[in-house]
Amino acid sequence: MLVDNFEIKSGIKAHLIQNDIFKTNIACVILTTPLERNTVTANALIPFLLRSGTKNLPSQLEINKKLEEMYGATFDCGIDKMGDNQVLKFYIESINDKFAGDKSEILKETIDFILDIVFNTLIEDGSFKEDILSIEKQNLKQVIEGKIDDKDLYAFENCINSMYGEKGFGLYKYGYLEDVEGITAKSLAESYQKLIDTCKIDIFISGDLKELDVKNILESNENVKKLVERKPNYILNNESTESKQKVDKVQEKNEKLDVAQGKLVIGLDALSKQKDLGCVALVYNAILGDGVNSMLFQNVREKASLAYSAKSKYVKQKGNIFIRCGIEIDNYQKALDIIKEQLDNIRNGNFTDEDIENAKCYLISGIKSIEEEQDSEIVFYIGNEITNVDMSLKKYMEVIESITKEQIVEFAGSLEYNTIYFLSNK
Amino acid sequence: MQIVESSKVKEKVYVEKLENGLTVAIIPKKDILKKYAIWGTEYGSIDNNFKIDKTGEEVRVPDGIAHYLEHKLFEQENGKNSLDVLSSLGVDANAYTTNNHTAYLFESTDNFYEALDEFMDYVQSPYFTDENVEKERGIIGQEIMMYDDYPDWKLYMNGVKCMYHNNPINIDVAGTKETIAKIDKEKLYTIYNSFYKPDNQLLVFCGDFDVDSLLVEIKKRLKTNPDKQEVQRIYPDEPEKIVKKYAEAKMDISKPIFLIGYKDKLEPGEMVKKDLAIECICNIIMGKSSDFYQRLYKEGLISTEFTYNYEFAKTYAHILIQNTSSDPKKVADELSKEIEKYKQTGFCEEEFSRIKKKMYGEYVKSYNDVSSIANNYLTDYLREINTFDFLEEVLVLDKDYIEKVLREVFDEEKKVLSVVLPNE
Repeated sequence: MLVDNFEIKSGIKAHLIQNDIFKTNIACVILTTPLERNTVTANALIPFLLRSGTKNLPSQLEINKKLEEMYGATFDCGIDKMGDNQVLKFYIESINDKFAGDKSEILKETIDFILDIVFNTLIEDGSFKEDILSIEKQNLKQVIEGKIDDKDLYAFENCINSMYGEKGFGLYKYGYLEDVEGITAKSLAESYQKLIDTCKIDIFISGDLKELDVKNILESNENVKKLVERKPNYILNNESTESKQKVDKVQEKNEKLDVAQGKLVIGLDALSKQKDLGCVALVYNAILGDGVNSMLFQNVREKASLAYSAKSKYVKQKGNIFIRCGIEIDNYQKALDIIKEQLDNIRNGNFTDEDIENAKCYLISGIKSIEEEQDSEIVFYIGNEITNVDMSLKKYMEVIESITKEQIVEFAGSLEYNTIYFLSNK
Repeated sequence: MQIVESSKVKEKVYVEKLENGLTVAIIPKKDILKKYAIWGTEYGSIDNNFKIDKTGEEVRVPDGIAHYLEHKLFEQENGKNSLDVLSSLGVDANAYTTNNHTAYLFESTDNFYEALDEFMDYVQSPYFTDENVEKERGIIGQEIMMYDDYPDWKLYMNGVKCMYHNNPINIDVAGTKETIAKIDKEKLYTIYNSFYKPDNQLLVFCGDFDVDSLLVEIKKRLKTNPDKQEVQRIYPDEPEKIVKKYAEAKMDISKPIFLIGYKDKLEPGEMVKKDLAIECICNIIMGKSSDFYQRLYKEGLISTEFTYNYEFAKTYAHILIQNTSSDPKKVADELSKEIEKYKQTGFCEEEFSRIKKKMYGEYVKSYNDVSSIANNYLTDYLREINTFDFLEEVLVLDKDYIEKVLREVFDEEKKVLSVVLPNE
């Protein structure tokens, strides 16, 4: 459970999560900054450089040897999109000292390591190293081009892009091929400095922290001391910030690739403004398409045998429901009709109290699991942090329990089709 | 009752063989909310040929039947689907099929015993009808097509087909649209009655349990199957040599992916040690701190780490090494040269001990939650391994042994290369 949550400096927050049921500790630094067309690519390249060397560990080789010495600590970085923000995550997981044989200080080393990676990168004379940069530019290009490799995600990403265009949430989180070449060792160092000086910074430490004064370790860390105070620059997205209007015409997008199976994605806008909107939407979504008792699973898959996977997802930062399923290409219209019928059924109140109970039970069980999953816990708290919601897990469950059929029907009535996207074969 | 203990990760497994032949393993975890149960049957896609003792009849079943049965076991005579019932209880239920086993599982935070009622009931009560079997064909057909769009799956299947002549590991676990068309309720019952028998199953629990009272609850829920029959599995002979050295496919992907396989022979009783040795060798030769990895990375030939594992069960064993590269053949050749170099020079003590430390930490991490602890136990039990042996043996692995494994297993004659290239 979250035991401490404090601001190290203005705009830089630490979150300490104590738990002794795991064999591992996690330290995670999260940088949040607005998604913008002119910065997205350079920002996406930054983690590639940060993982390549620090002033203490100036090459990947030294970083990797260090991790192996720390009993195979796992270090990774990634880029997420949360609403209109680009979120850079740096993450290390190591075993708890009680499982290491010798006199070890793995937890402290773990924290120091991640701070070194993010805040003490190898910039000399205002510039990253040219040779590293040129390799990592190729690697970023490969990731951008690799979007096509996972056809389900590719379809989902392209549906979002059709809805939001080339700005904010519509941008591709890894950036754009045509912008990679122009980035120089010097310009990227400037992008890095600007990011580090202005973004929202969250540091999570999770594990068995009892033996160590983690607060002091963070506050006295030289790399943290160097950081400047800031009014963090990020976009606050939540149910109250998004004002949507019904689109004039529903977009229909078709794309063709060499695929065996068609990938259908439907994006809907929620126009509702009711109280507890986020939780109402989650209950709605569970009834519609999250879990085996949902209408999509039961009707598209179990009754009509049209799909193996048929599901929906609620994106709280932007107030969208996305429906996704993989179908036989010739069954496009049939699947679409059945999906529309499910949406109409909820809108018309054609669902039972049992459906609501099943949905709530499913969601609450998921919430109860959060504290027993080290990474889910961090995801939950960073989600709260970026949407500026301060909700405990207990309160969260209470609100879910309180949602009524009327609220669900109101929400269903506010949903408008925005885009119907279909990926099929050539 | 047998107690298996690991001082390294401080876990204890209580193993009991019940009167009906079912083995139950319980791993108690104090003060954890989640409770996990997994019921494994030693029946997978490789078991497609067997002889029925009573009639002497030899049976060959359509590819994909183990997986089809897994989907259909949830159907109940009262018209309900147990997956839906379990989900209504707020538990997360699922099932999967592999080459050598099928497993049914759930994880709960509440309602554990209600869920156990349903869970133990459905696994012991098949209800197959023409109608419910027919209904599943479209769903599984779409599951097969979903896999057809996964480049990694194509890469793996082609790699395995390069290695194996006859071993049914070279068929797709889910079968094909054509083979699943031949599956009917009679065939499913034959499989169920021949293989879903207590002495061919293992039930594993992990969570905050009192061992004795859980055993009482399990015994209360046991059923008998009057239709069960004895069978002998028939596995074809498999030559030691590979089928062919190379396979290639094309898909809409951004960059070539490749898989290098080394076919190996089984050495019962040695597998833990051998698995550890192979993992250690791969780490040293091509891991992220190796000269080889660093050189290829700087040359732009690879951009991510190699993934490698030693895949083995009772009838097969091979090494799989995977990555992405603009020039797979070059990487494969360079790797062979590097391996030959190490065969000459051997390993240095410093890297050997660092990698052992790394591997130890990774094993500790793999026992981090109730589901992975139970899953590890099940998978290893079905390979006749005590799962904690990995942790015990990794730190005492000796250098001479891994050098011997390097010379014997990484044999150029037994090497295959599977590649998936982008469409032009």
